[in-house]
Amino acid sequence: MELQEKLKILVDSAKYDASCSSSGSSRKNKTGLGTTSISGICHSFASDGRCISLLKILMTNCCIFDCKYCLNRKSNNIPRAIFTPEEICKITINFYRRNYIEGLFLSSGIIKNPDYTMEKMIETVSLLRNKYHFYGYIHAKAIPGASEKLLKELGKLVDRLSANIELPTNEGLKLLAPNKNSQKVSEIMNYVKENHSKKYVPAGQSTQMIIGATKETDFNILTKSANLYEQFKLKRVFYSAYVPVNNDRLLPQLKEPPLKRENRLYQADWLLRYYNYKVKDLLNEQHPNFNILLDPKADYALRNLKEFPKEINKCSYFDLLKIPGIGVKSAKRIISSRKYFTLRLEDLKRMGVVIKRAKYFILCDGKYFTDPHYFKKNFIETNLILEEKEPEKKSYQQLRLFK
Amino acid sequence: MNLVYLYDGSFLNLLTLIAYLFKHQITPYNIKNQQYNPNLLEEIINLNVSNEEQIIPKLIEGLGYYNFRLLYYVFLSEEEHKELIMYYYLKNGLKYRNRIGYQRNLKCVRKVLKVGQYVFHEIHKMKGFLRFKELENRILYAEMEPENNIIFDLSIHFQKRLNQEYWIIKDVRRKIYSCYNKKSFILIPEENFHLYTKNQSSEEQEFESLWKTFYQKIGIKERKNERCRMNFMPKKYWKYITEVRDEL
Repeated sequence: MELQEKLKILVDSAKYDASCSSSGSSRKNKTGLGTTSISGICHSFASDGRCISLLKILMTNCCIFDCKYCLNRKSNNIPRAIFTPEEICKITINFYRRNYIEGLFLSSGIIKNPDYTMEKMIETVSLLRNKYHFYGYIHAKAIPGASEKLLKELGKLVDRLSANIELPTNEGLKLLAPNKNSQKVSEIMNYVKENHSKKYVPAGQSTQMIIGATKETDFNILTKSANLYEQFKLKRVFYSAYVPVNNDRLLPQLKEPPLKRENRLYQADWLLRYYNYKVKDLLNEQHPNFNILLDPKADYALRNLKEFPKEINKCSYFDLLKIPGIGVKSAKRIISSRKYFTLRLEDLKRMGVVIKRAKYFILCDGKYFTDPHYFKKNFIETNLILEEKEPEKKSYQQLRLFK
Repeated sequence: MNLVYLYDGSFLNLLTLIAYLFKHQITPYNIKNQQYNPNLLEEIINLNVSNEEQIIPKLIEGLGYYNFRLLYYVFLSEEEHKELIMYYYLKNGLKYRNRIGYQRNLKCVRKVLKVGQYVFHEIHKMKGFLRFKELENRILYAEMEPENNIIFDLSIHFQKRLNQEYWIIKDVRRKIYSCYNKKSFILIPEENFHLYTKNQSSEEQEFESLWKTFYQKIGIKERKNERCRMNFMPKKYWKYITEVRDEL
């Protein structure tokens, strides 16, 4: 088979992996090719708006597993291909030299058994690092069930390791991926966490969950993520809206992927990691799903309206972070600037605060932006929802003078 | 008469000139590059101050490294009155020292933050969007057309990244080449530069088409989002980006 054909098949199977980050590692180049950048670099953007920074391919799409949601399951009749280690190296090196990519994202279907697959992956990566002296970014998928020795070997060669937990609960996993075992994924995560150092998986580990393939609520999903962050010190949990690729009576029939839900989960994920929120602030059993119309932070603020409005010139950093329209950067700017002068609403705009969202929740020097009578839940909610709707594009036509 | 002071176009000379103006308590109407053509109401003054190397470590000590770097990025921009903005920024810097970055109520500070960030972001974007082609003699050759004069900072990045390759980067708008010979790079203006061949190597076509295949296949069609792509990768860069050039 020609290289062109193989690439077509193996990219097609790899594209559903959400992670493409290339940050968190600063590998220095001695005498070879490439470096990694601590902030990560995006090299291109695909037609779906996702960043392309790594050459995201499968080593092979042959697989002995039969997961219901996966394009590569063994019961699907699709063209199969396999890359040899040399071929992967050739493509990676040549793409890298032309500055198309930041590195390699190597994943694979499972051939023969997990150990054999992992050995093949290690062969590829070590060829890249040792024969071609490649110092760029490498992200590899760990295969659940492979031996600890192989995990150790692979971790020394790559920048990031990840193992997908795929579904937030065990029941879901049993239903859709009968060959997979969440215990084995946790074992990998635990091993990586225990051994994490500058020499071993320097950019840390991440994982991915599919959203909308089973009946789990947002509360289930977010609780799982919070546990993962706490237990295994993960760098990121990625959420991937379920795209129907197979027909199976166990799978939901969706018209389009639940993109808005995915978006809300990412927003909540950020709130957990950078804004000091707890899962129980955002969701609970009585209220298990996010409001699709409002972002989680505004939703929280509206449910806890008695904490607001907050005085910009006095309240603490963590209180500032709770205000919709104020982020980490603008909160820091507010803290550092208000030592020197009293902030007014006009000043906030220059700090990068999104005024059209924040104005409902703040007092500037004791003043509310409009008549304080309007500080009511219904009024604010309606206005915020209207703000979030994208303005419809109108096509204007030039008036004609002559016919 | 409106007095316009001239400098020789280099960063160091501009800083020296501004220091000179502070010392003699002169408030300039404007500061411009030597090629500047004055209008009827302006008079140009060329002081020909000699460069003082000492000034940069002093300024870094005073303003702090971060603020100074931002100032340097403003110098790289195409902002119309960048020299004057820098003059007022430094003037306020005498008073506020390293706290200058927090004085967002001053117009010059806001401008420096805005323009400086813009240049900084463009350097970062270009690190990703630059595309090399391999020529017959295995030299890597790239063309670009950035808004700001970022070729020097970009070269530093590629000097580290592709340090075992020969490469040439061309800034099409400013007509400058940056050439790297596996040891160091130099910037050469177009008049003094002659490229022997622009013929591509035999492999180039193959990898370009592999890359285009990859690009087309990696997008998920159920999630198509043209607006999002355009936000991250504006059309002004497309001319030199291999995989989207054909869509223009």
